[in-house]
Amino acid sequence: MTQDQEKTVLDLVTNPPLGSDLAKAKEFGIDLTLFIATLRRTPTERARSLSEGARIFQVAKQIQRK
Amino acid sequence: MKLEETIRILYDADVEFVVIGGAAMGLQGSAYLTKDIDFCYARTPANIERLANALQPFHPVLRGAPADLPFRFDAKTIAQGLNFTLSTDLGDLDFLGEVSGLGSFQEVLAESDVRTVGVVDCRVLSLEGLIKSKIAAGRPRDLYVLPELRGLSQVKKKAGVE
Repeated sequence: MTQDQEKTVLDLVTNPPLGSDLAKAKEFGIDLTLFIATLRRTPTERARSLSEGARIFQVAKQIQRK
Repeated sequence: MKLEETIRILYDADVEFVVIGGAAMGLQGSAYLTKDIDFCYARTPANIERLANALQPFHPVLRGAPADLPFRFDAKTIAQGLNFTLSTDLGDLDFLGEVSGLGSFQEVLAESDVRTVGVVDCRVLSLEGLIKSKIAAGRPRDLYVLPELRGLSQVKKKAGVE
């Protein structure tokens, strides 16, 4: 993301326009600030993050079984 | 789950595929986590053969099936079926011949974006495609992710982010 894009994302997630899909997502309980972090990442970094998340999920599941 | 590696393996084997489901959501910027990878694959005989050959070294078995159930993920099996939920050495992989709300591979391909994952340009279902498929699937867990997908779609369009 460029600095301008990041500023736009920050503005949108901190002040979602009334009645917008973003406002509805926030009302639903979505933490919109997560978009700042996820959109900063490249698709490759997102892929690695997904794999790491799945690995942690697997470890937690194994611990729960013990 | 080895997303980057799995995409690379399928790409290197010339398999025609689109990443769909939770992995596509994550690649498009959602914070959603998934433990399996879903793909839509082309059902041409040549692609089916390539898919079977690509996965063969990774010991695919039907997920959740009894260990003694005879199963070979070969071209004949794929041609006779449509959707496969597999456990492999790469993790849990699902291969779908069709996606609800979208249709077969060509329709899914038309709703996809190119994303660079590692050194590979691959096809990933677009946010609009994901929203359509989630609405069509209609299960509570599909509908639950719609607010995030719609919000993400709006922020990406307004900010011009991929």
